[in-house]
Amino acid sequence: MTIHTALINTKEQKISLDKAKKFVYSSENGAETIFVGRVRNINDNKKVTAVTYDAHDEAVLKSFKIICTDAKNKFDETAKIFLEHVKGYTSVGEISILIAVGAGHRDEAFKICRYILEEVKHQSPIWKKEHYIDGKEEWLPGHSLRPKENIK
Amino acid sequence: MEIQLKLYGSSKILSDKDILNIQLPNNSNIKNLRDTLKKIISEKYSKSNLKNLSKTAAFFSEKDEVIDDSYKLRNNEFISIIPPIGGG
Repeated sequence: MTIHTALINTKEQKISLDKAKKFVYSSENGAETIFVGRVRNINDNKKVTAVTYDAHDEAVLKSFKIICTDAKNKFDETAKIFLEHVKGYTSVGEISILIAVGAGHRDEAFKICRYILEEVKHQSPIWKKEHYIDGKEEWLPGHSLRPKENIK
Repeated sequence: MEIQLKLYGSSKILSDKDILNIQLPNNSNIKNLRDTLKKIISEKYSKSNLKNLSKTAAFFSEKDEVIDDSYKLRNNEFISIIPPIGGG
């Protein structure tokens, strides 16, 4: 198995960096890249305490598999890829997304990691609701999956 | 006819439940659903940030595939509303 993808329900578990490192390790690979996305404590000048992530589970998992397979086909067919994203309430400092890649060489490892991150943001139906220090909360604007020419 | 609209992201403001039942004229399509949503939002949620949702949302069928405005809805069909996305 060279691709691992999952949505992690934060009520039950957390994303594990160790698990990712073990998954992508191979003595045949000369490079590993790891991207860790975390909830940060400020956005748009507002103090953030946590983010609740919502997801269309089935469509997200389908998109993750397609994105990772495309990345391998595009950059390195022998690459090992680990991709997990959280769903649910996630406090400041906790991991929201983890992408780990093991590949033959550094260039492919960097490219695959970046490609997956950008495509997840562009394709995977995931949403963020920020919680602020004053008790307010807000769903963040995002990227429409509807073709631009149809939005009038 | 009635459809079961599965709510995600900002559209969850529309109900305390995960699914919103929406009444539509018989033989409606996604365009009719957009128009009905626009009406609901302007009547009840005009102060929220949902103002453009009826225009910017995509919709998924029960097969989790994007469907366009001409898609004919069936009575009691489950449709997912997909507001603009932004994970990571």
